[in-house]
Amino acid sequence: MVEQQVVVKNRLGLHARAAARLVRTASAFRSTVRLERADSSASADAKSILSVLMLAAARGTHLRATAEGVDEREALGAVCALIVGGFGEMEE
Amino acid sequence: MSRKIKGERLEQRWQGVAVSEGLAAGRVLRIHSGVRQRVYRATLAEDEVERETRRFRAALRLVRRQLHDVRRKAERALGAEHAYIFEAHLLMLEDRKFLEDIESYIRDERVNAEWAVKVVADRLLAIYAEITDEYLRERSSDVEDVIRRILVALSGEDAPGARLTHDAIIVAEELMPSAAAELDFAHVKAIASDGGGWTSHTAIIARGLGIPAVVGLRELYRHARTGDEIIVDARTGEVVLHPTSGTQELHRTHVAAQAAAVVTGREADGGAGALRDAGADVAPEPVRTLDGVEMTLRANVELPAEYAGVRRFGARGIGLYRSEFLLSQHDAMPSEDEQCAAYVELAALTGADGATIRLFDLGGDKLDGLLESAGERNPALGLRAIRFCLQREDILRTQVRAVLRAAAQGRLDLVLPMISDITDVRRTRAVIEEERARLQTEGRETGALRIGAMIEVPSAVLVADKLAREVDFFSLGTNDLIQYLLAVDRSNDEVAGWFRSLHPAVLQSISRTLDAAAAASIPAVVCGEMAASPAYAFVLAGLGARDLSMTASSIPRVRRMLRGIEAERARAIAAECLECATADDVEELVGGRLGEGWPNLFPPEILPAPNRKE
Repeated sequence: MVEQQVVVKNRLGLHARAAARLVRTASAFRSTVRLERADSSASADAKSILSVLMLAAARGTHLRATAEGVDEREALGAVCALIVGGFGEMEE
Repeated sequence: MSRKIKGERLEQRWQGVAVSEGLAAGRVLRIHSGVRQRVYRATLAEDEVERETRRFRAALRLVRRQLHDVRRKAERALGAEHAYIFEAHLLMLEDRKFLEDIESYIRDERVNAEWAVKVVADRLLAIYAEITDEYLRERSSDVEDVIRRILVALSGEDAPGARLTHDAIIVAEELMPSAAAELDFAHVKAIASDGGGWTSHTAIIARGLGIPAVVGLRELYRHARTGDEIIVDARTGEVVLHPTSGTQELHRTHVAAQAAAVVTGREADGGAGALRDAGADVAPEPVRTLDGVEMTLRANVELPAEYAGVRRFGARGIGLYRSEFLLSQHDAMPSEDEQCAAYVELAALTGADGATIRLFDLGGDKLDGLLESAGERNPALGLRAIRFCLQREDILRTQVRAVLRAAAQGRLDLVLPMISDITDVRRTRAVIEEERARLQTEGRETGALRIGAMIEVPSAVLVADKLAREVDFFSLGTNDLIQYLLAVDRSNDEVAGWFRSLHPAVLQSISRTLDAAAAASIPAVVCGEMAASPAYAFVLAGLGARDLSMTASSIPRVRRMLRGIEAERARAIAAECLECATADDVEELVGGRLGEGWPNLFPPEILPAPNRKE
């Protein structure tokens, strides 16, 4: 299993559109991908949009992303890149 | 007076706000916006469980097909980014955990699919209700939307679009963008809704497509039933449910008059419906008055859905592009590249005529959750438009760079909204020149850009002569000018009676602005909704306006009017108006002169009537 800490950067947080991109990305891999709030109050299956929305990850939320499986490194890299990149919707 | 006859219902009338002009009669099609359905629990026999699961899966397939359709339509009408929300909806239908929860509930509890959907959904929604972030919490409405679709599919009812007949008039409490995107607009004759406003997406789409629309009709939805006869008169804002035969007859006469106007006009331009059917593009031929004065008619545009209208209605380019639409598409600030692509598209659409892009007119009513609104007590007078742009220079610079780059690929102008002091123009110009220099250093191509000022604040009118020396053109925004000049909130029904487009102070301000532009030899385009009404456009022409920009679907009737009048006579009548003391006096004068002088161009119902009250 691999893991990485990330911070949600886009202004609206993991709202429906961002969550949709995240789920599409995670679903492209065979590994299990999970997101957990850094304070461990909630965790989500990154391939389930309802689960991701339930994280209620607003801007500034610290998350722990984990991946486990045959393509875990690629999966984790892709998901984290999306979050760190603010889902390509940064103001600047 | 009229006694209720068995089987015939009493005529009922509503007065609302017309947001897209025209007149239509047809039958009600009620569209419910997320109304909760009642769901009952039914216990199944052991051997029925399998069939129930299959029924649930079939419903999911149906909803999936519908959503793919909706997304495609939304993409076409509103832009790809706007349609992305339906991607989230589709993913919910693929959410394994969600589907498994429902199916195992059906199996374990031996209940009908509706009940299982409801129980699982309610659990989900209860968790969402706990979310503290307001924006994220509101996303539960997306979940509700999907749940509603599944329940409708299970009930075997048709999707709303499938029930459209050729004379459907949409009646809704509020037509949400998702519902609007679902409609096949080719079959919709008109829209009438309890809520909504001039700037709602529905209103904008209706105007772009030339469908009459009236909003603000309290409780119409509750009274109307699908299939009821209804007349929507968006010339006066009146809606008649169960019209009597007398009312229908009167209505038919009006429609006939409209049709006759089409025949006597030199082009097919009267009834919006006829135009939509014809579908032929109108070449933007020069528009001249009978005494040879040339007029230019351009289009105001916001949504991609309106682009088609620019050519169809023969606009000479885009006189006002409301760039805020780009924000509604993105939920966040669009990047420089995204904006640049949108502006290049406008330039390509309008060719040599070009497009005028208005800087983000943000603030006040238009922020809705996108940016942290400061919760101003008086947003119309607050941090908005050019003030907002100068405060948030990062946003301004990104937009300026995008426009400068796009201008290298076509003819574009930039107009600065809500200028109240020349300093605002100078500061913005400095930013533009800095960004131009920066782009050039970066080796990027930039294009020539004319910079204009929106004249919509009274102080700008008073210094118009000096302002004219600092900009390349004026753009008169009559809606805001009237609001600020007469101190009337145009979104407040209570004071609608004080919003008088023909107030002498308004006419004097327009006249003064046009004179200042002429003296400085710069163009001035009038781009408020005043330009879209033939009677008002007549007065504008009389005051010296030669360049009008309006909702594209209004262009044909204004063009027909202009081709039937003499500019000199308009000038004389406008001069008389300027001498009037009250808005009533002006309206009476205009109504009288136009009705006598050009009865075929100005039938009574399109003329302003003083004190038109219930």
